[in-house]
Parts: sequence; structure tokens; C-alpha cells
Amino acid sequence: MSGQLRSALIIGVQGIRARKLRTFLSMVSLFLGVLAIVVVQAGSQVAERAMLADVELNSGKDGTAQLFVPSNPKVPQVLAETLTGRSDAVAMRSTSATIGEPGVRALNPGASPFEGPGAGGYGYPMTCDSQGNCTSGEDQSVPKGVAIEVRLTSLTGDVRQFRPYRQESGRWLDFDSAPSLAPRIVLNKQAAVGFQRYRVPAQMRIAGATADPTPQIIGVVDDGGYGAAAYVRQDELSNWVPSTTATAGTPDPRFGGGTSVLLSGAGTDVERVLKSRLAANGVDPSQLRTELVQSRARAASTLNLMRWIFLGMAALVLLIGVAAILNVGLATVGERVEEFALRRAVGTSRLLLAGIVLAETLLTGLFTAGAAIGVGALAFKIAVPLLGSGRMAFLRDLSFPWQAAVAGIIAGLVAGVLGGSIPALRAARIPIATVMRA
Amino acid sequence: MTALLQLSGITKTLTGQDEPRTILAGVDLTVHSGQSVAILGRSGSGKSTLLSLIGLFDRPDGGTYLLGDRDITRLPERKAAALRSAEFGFVFQRFFLLKHLTAMQNVAMALVNGQGWASRRQRRARVLAALDRVGIAHLAKHKPARLSGGEQQRVAIARALVREPRILLADEPTGALDAETGNLVVEVLRSATDQGCGLILVTHDQDHAAKMGRVLRLRDGVLA
Ligand SMILES: Nc1ncnc2c1ncn2[C@@H]1O[C@H](COP(=O)(O)OP(=O)(O)O)[C@@H](O)[C@H]1O
Ligand SMILES: [Mg+2]
Repeated sequence: MSGQLRSALIIGVQGIRARKLRTFLSMVSLFLGVLAIVVVQAGSQVAERAMLADVELNSGKDGTAQLFVPSNPKVPQVLAETLTGRSDAVAMRSTSATIGEPGVRALNPGASPFEGPGAGGYGYPMTCDSQGNCTSGEDQSVPKGVAIEVRLTSLTGDVRQFRPYRQESGRWLDFDSAPSLAPRIVLNKQAAVGFQRYRVPAQMRIAGATADPTPQIIGVVDDGGYGAAAYVRQDELSNWVPSTTATAGTPDPRFGGGTSVLLSGAGTDVERVLKSRLAANGVDPSQLRTELVQSRARAASTLNLMRWIFLGMAALVLLIGVAAILNVGLATVGERVEEFALRRAVGTSRLLLAGIVLAETLLTGLFTAGAAIGVGALAFKIAVPLLGSGRMAFLRDLSFPWQAAVAGIIAGLVAGVLGGSIPALRAARIPIATVMRA
Repeated sequence: MTALLQLSGITKTLTGQDEPRTILAGVDLTVHSGQSVAILGRSGSGKSTLLSLIGLFDRPDGGTYLLGDRDITRLPERKAAALRSAEFGFVFQRFFLLKHLTAMQNVAMALVNGQGWASRRQRRARVLAALDRVGIAHLAKHKPARLSGGEQQRVAIARALVREPRILLADEPTGALDAETGNLVVEVLRSATDQGCGLILVTHDQDHAAKMGRVLRLRDGVLA
């Protein structure tokens, strides 16, 4: 370190220590400005996560390609043969299943949730034939019993790489072990509520099944869905629902119909192989649509607009902080005219003197920024576990965004430079002769 | 033997609010090592202006200024700062001590100026030596508020001496002190010349002037 730098450090620290209260006061408003910037940055990060979290669960992470395969009796067979054991492509097919007492109406017809919006049923399910004649209403002749209806989704592989379901308890499906005869199922949170509330016999009736298997519930996940749902390994389900039966290829129309295959990116080899095999088995190629999930890009413009509006407001607050530093800085230079003239008289150069004044405000700015970032991070750490439950569960694994810290440091530096440069210039211009004349 | 400093025909015209006024109209002055010079003159005669030119706070309009055999009449500010640090020591009528620093730190200020670097230990040793030279080493830890006027001025003299300058410039250093303390301060300043330092003392006091090797008078912008 050169003599200049060491001298500047000593003089700067002496200057700050001689005016602790004043330094502190100029820090207060700057602190608020930097804090505003940090909060906006962290907030927009949280908002982005909030907007994307549900999208990720419902359609998939950004870059995931979703191939919709229309119903066809041979489709399940082709999918199972092509995709079993693969990790870069997973087929999902949903059907209706009712777990509980046989021969009764489910407690939640239509797999409606037990809590929150839609609880108590979505209304009676409608069944429509191919001519568009719909029959509405529940079959009142069947008594209600202890049974829970779920939307049962069979998977050929681990889907969580595309849709990051959060484990609530227990385990997720294990795709490496040998298939079990008693299908292992993972419930979503809404279904778990029902199972917690009622003593439900472990017997599962699946649309198109040849017999009723006894499922083993191994875990609960948050899948972002509103209705009661469950997930099962496709090969464990196919023991009970032979792919050759006509209904097996006809998924429950209430749950969207068809099969979707999630792929890591569009235009992969698997996609091409899958499409050609499906075409060879009678699926019309023009009906195979692939959609790429690009939620971030779609959300980005909205988020950016919000971020700029809030950053603009934060910048205004910061400007007030700068004005405060500038005000204090100018007053201080006025007060220190004699000190600065004296320092120049004993050989301190103009440049170094200006540097010291600038360094003092810069140090103040950085120190303030550090404090504001610290407070912001601490508040974040305290607030996140409090907020991070229920619908805001995505907050749980969110750490204080580094962008907010960087923005805070930059804001502190900018404020220091803006608020310090004018006093620094003034300090450098003080004429020694005039001040020291007797 | 070359002089410590040699001024010839130095002029300075100050332009204030009114019409320009010539303060110095050709000042000649030579100071040798170990010499002391008293400058007397009425208030407003330009004594402080002359000292500020010698001390490189300001530059003359005309004439030549030699420091040793180096012409420093038109010296850029950056080099002037280095020379102020290395060659000159200043004592003013007001002591100009920083009230938030101790006597020791006030003296050390002349060492912490970006011109070279002395370690904390070296600084301490040099500061204590300088305070000892002016007889107040025992007050090193005191802040200015706890020192008498004479003690404060001696801290200022220690600050001027700590870099062992070749020329000591004192502008009415006893102006704010009583007679007895003033005598003491002038004696401290004069004793600096024993080690070869040159001294220019601006004063109104005939007795103090008489203690210097030469007595000059500034009148109508000329030294005589
Ligand atoms: N910055 C300045 N601008 C214009 N005139 C000045 C300035 N400073 C001092 N003067 C004038 O210059 C003259 C000499 O001042 P100075 O050197 O301080 O005299 P002395 O120290 O002998 O009392 C005075 O008349 C004073 O009013
Ligand atoms: Mg004067």
C-alpha cells in the first residue's frame, strides 16, 4: 500500500470518527434508500418465483417440451416400450380412481378438494357421449360412503425433473426397484387431507381395471393442483389395467384426456423415435402437438415493467439519501476549511485531499449499503419461514437473492460518488494563503 | 556557499473587488542556512502575502525564486505540495490545531500527508522527539482544549519541525500570546536555527525582532 493510500485511510477514519453523529445522520436516509433498492430487488425475485412456481408445477420447468398424444388403444403399449427406463422423457396419463368402500359414491365426487376453493364437490360430474349429449347429475341411487376419488396419474419415469413437486412427507415413487403388485401411490396434499380426515379402507377401483388392487400410500407431495390426485408407476398400474383393454387407451375425459409426454427440450431423438413409432401404430402425425414451456420469457415482460416501476420509486428514495449525504458533505467541508488548508500547507496534495473527502463519503455509502443489505437479508430470513407455508410454500427454498446485495452495493457506491464528488472538489479548491493569513 | 533561498524582484498584485493593488513591488531576500530574519511592517503591508509566496501557498507575478539552486518561481501545484512537506515548516498566529486530535496526532499530521510513509513506530519516535524539542513531550496525549496558548503554539511548532525542514516560516506566532509566553515561543523558534534551519519571523514586536540575526522592514512593497 502506498503512502498516499495509507495516509488517506488514516485521515479518512479520523474525519469520520471526529464527526460520528453527523456521519450517522447522513447514513440514516441513505440507509432507507439502499434498503428500498434491496427490497425491490429481493421482492421482484420473490415475485418471479411466485409467478413461476405454480407454472412449473402445472406445466413444467422452462425448456420442458410437452407432447400431447391422442387416445388410441395401442398408445400405452408404445409409450411403455419406448419410454420405460428413460429419464429424459416421461409419459403421464391421468385416469379416475376411487379408493375406499366399494359400491358407494365418493366423498369428493369428481376428485374435488376437501379444503379451500371447490371443497365439497365441483358439482355433479357430467358425462357426454360422442354426439354431445350430456347427462348431468350424480346417481342418487348409490349411497355415499367412505371413499375418496382421485385423479390417478401414471408415470413411466420420474417426472419431478420437469415438474418439481415438493415432498410433503414420506417418499416419492421409486422407478428403479422392481414393480410391486400392490401399486405404490403418492398422494397430493388435497387427497392427503381426505385420507387424514376419514378412515378409508385400502381398496382402489380404477376405471377399466380387471380387479381392485390394494394400494400402498408411500408419500405426499405438493403438486400445485387444486383437486385430489395421486401418482403411480405406470408399470405397477398396468398389472391391473391391461393396456389391451379398450378403456385403457381412453383416459377419463374429465381429466383432460389423452396422454402427455414430458421431454427435456424440443426436437430430441426420443421425440423423433416416439413420433415415428406412434405414427406406425396408427396415430395421425398431424395430431401430435409439441409445446415448449417458456413461462419465464412470458412472465418476464410483466415482471420487468413492475421491477422498473418499483426501482424508479426506490431510486427516488435513494436520491433523497444522496441529497442528505451531499448536504452533510458540503456542510462538513465548510466546517473543515481550516483543516483542509492546514493539511495542504503541510504538504497534502489537492488530489489526495479530494480523494480523502470522496473516500469518506464512499466509505459511509458502502458501510450504509452493508448495513441495509444485512438488515434486508435478516428480514428475509425471518419473513420467509413465516410466509413460506401453504400457497407460498415455494418461498421455503428461496435464499436471499445475490442480485439484491449487488444492487445495494451499487446503490451505496453511486450515492457515495454523487454525494462526495462536489464536496471533494470544493475541498481541493480551498486556497491556503487566504485561510492561513494572519 | 549557495543560499537556502533567494528572492529577487518578487512582485505580487492582488485583484480583489476593487481595482488591482500591488502588494509586493520587487522584494529581494536571501536567507542562508542557520540564519534568522525578522520582518517588520505595518498591518496590511503584505508580510503574510510575502510568506505565502515563500511557503509556496501561492506564486509570484514576477521576479525569480531560487530554492538552493533550483528555480521554483513557477512550480506546478503537485510539486509545490511535495516541497512544502519536505522543505518548509509553518507556524501561524492562530495555532490551527485540530481539536479532535491529541497533541501527538496533531504533530503526526505533518507525517501523514501522502508524501512518503513512516511506520507507526517511526512516526511515534519522530513526533515525541519534536515535542521534546519544544519542551512539551509530557503533554503528548492531551487534546488542544486542555493546553494553554503557549503550549498549543509549541505543539504547532513541533508540527512544523517534525519533518526537519530547512526553512521555518512564522507569521506573527506570538500575536495571540502574552509577553512572557511569546518570549518563550520566539526562543524555541530561534533555537531551531542552531541546527542549520533558516527562520523567517514576521512580527510586530521590536524585542522579538531584535533576537533575530537580521531585521528587515516591509514598506511600500519593498524590503529594506
Ligand atoms: N485575497 C485577497 N484579495 C485581495 N486583497 C487581499 C487579499 N488578501 C489580502 N489582501 C490585501 O493585501 C494586503 C496585504 O495583506 P497581508 O499580506 O495580509 O498584510 P499583513 O500580513 O502585512 O498584515 C492587505 O491590504 C489586504 O487587505
Ligand atoms: Mg499578516
